[in-house]
Amino acid sequence: MSAAPCPRLFEAEALRDGRLAGAERASFERHVAMCSACSREVQTLETLADALRAVSHGAADELHVRRERTRLLAAFDRNLIAPARRLVPRRLLWSGVAAMLFVSLLGLWRLRPATLPATVPSAVVHADAAAVWSDRTEGNRERIVLDRGALWIHVDHSSGQGPLVVELPDGDLEDIGTTFAVSAEGGHTTRVAVQEGRVELRLRGRSPLIVGPGETWVPDVPAPAACASAAVPYPEPSASVSTSQLPRPFSTPGPSAAAPNPAADFRAAMDALDRGDNHEAATKFGRFLKEYPRDPRAEDAAYSRVIALQRCGDTNGMKDSAREYLRHYPVGFRHAEVDALSR
Amino acid sequence: MITRRAANHSAERTGGGQTTDPEILRQLAAGEIGALGELYDRYQEAVRRFVVRATADAEDADDLVQATFLAAAKSAERYDGRPLCRPWLIGIAAQLLRRRRQSFGRSLAVLSSLRVRATASDPRAAIQARSDLERALVRLSEAKRLTLLMAEVEGLSCAEIAAALEIPIGTVWTRLHAARRELRRAMEASGGS
Repeated sequence: MSAAPCPRLFEAEALRDGRLAGAERASFERHVAMCSACSREVQTLETLADALRAVSHGAADELHVRRERTRLLAAFDRNLIAPARRLVPRRLLWSGVAAMLFVSLLGLWRLRPATLPATVPSAVVHADAAAVWSDRTEGNRERIVLDRGALWIHVDHSSGQGPLVVELPDGDLEDIGTTFAVSAEGGHTTRVAVQEGRVELRLRGRSPLIVGPGETWVPDVPAPAACASAAVPYPEPSASVSTSQLPRPFSTPGPSAAAPNPAADFRAAMDALDRGDNHEAATKFGRFLKEYPRDPRAEDAAYSRVIALQRCGDTNGMKDSAREYLRHYPVGFRHAEVDALSR
Repeated sequence: MITRRAANHSAERTGGGQTTDPEILRQLAAGEIGALGELYDRYQEAVRRFVVRATADAEDADDLVQATFLAAAKSAERYDGRPLCRPWLIGIAAQLLRRRRQSFGRSLAVLSSLRVRATASDPRAAIQARSDLERALVRLSEAKRLTLLMAEVEGLSCAEIAAALEIPIGTVWTRLHAARRELRRAMEASGGS
């Protein structure tokens, strides 16, 4: 017959991942000194990390390193773009070709004359009424400069033109066989939604990012609006917002300040949690779950809400939200941890 | 348009004689090929180690390391100025790995070709345990494996990983938890600790 596991066992991983700070961290460290189960868990996690670090990485010899260095510098001297594109899987290229053919056929139906079309060579651009933008050609490369507003762009590569680059207030975007929409407001890119093909989004201070077909990128920045109410009940799942859904081209102007922005709302809640404002974090996560129950981050939000309430010292609220998590995510990533908290 | 200067342009040095990472990135953004060489000398080992562990394929790794440094050169002007650029480079490598959309599931034959460092105490047990771990590592989803390696091997914080992979920090936590759970189960199933 074995003893019940320590209810604080999950905190060993929380400590390792930097989720415990201040008094919580000190409390758990004192607990570890007295609890053999938690001490063993801490040691097990460290042993696992040691084992991962010991996995061979086949260190290259000096000659190989020098050869690779020469190859790199030669590639840099030749061209900065071509080598990166070698990594594109061939089947994706074929898919892109097929998608472009499909889009070309659909294009005649979709591109309606009443939608203020403005064309640059090899690209069709539709702008919303508030968009401020311009275009120019540099060599075989098209450049579109977007100051603000929303553009829907279809690039036709069959004309043999070079890649199209959209200059954004805070970076740029390069198409890779593409139909996409891009929006900017207040000196920042606010949305990139790709319908066909892919684009490479390069924003200052961020790693380059590929946005693929059916994907939508929105920035992870805190929402400007503050959270108002106190307790927000956990929502029932319902058909609601999908971040991957593309806007219908030409249908509405670009995003406004009141437009739903789940990425910003989630980031605002995480920021509150990070700075220790746990009550606000719990409220914002609750609001997020209510407004975006189908969002891919909903499970993260549900879990983080449990943690925020635990940090608030709201034991009953934490248990209720933990049980809600278990009900909505019976095989969730954090099931064992949340199950312990729900008791 | 890439502006290039003379390849032998001398790098700006700090008082200690060591060019800082932000300075190297600034020179690289200006098209100085010598800066790319300096960056490579400084971080090729770390980037290669990360890529090899993530792919279990040293030959593939060479191309990915090359692509990582070329992508860094392309993005150098957007570097955010952090004192050390290793997390940024690891993030670029991780993005390239994700982009590749190629199965990382390798046969056990490939895994067995990985060299294993022996230990003095119990080499056979250690080799067996490590092989089990490597097998389990390869079986992880790409997302979990990259996140785990960035955290546990490369020492990136969860916030750095979230920024590099452009995912919420909560997702980093859940991936780490799931990855560790799967590895531990695999190790327990194989009789390891």
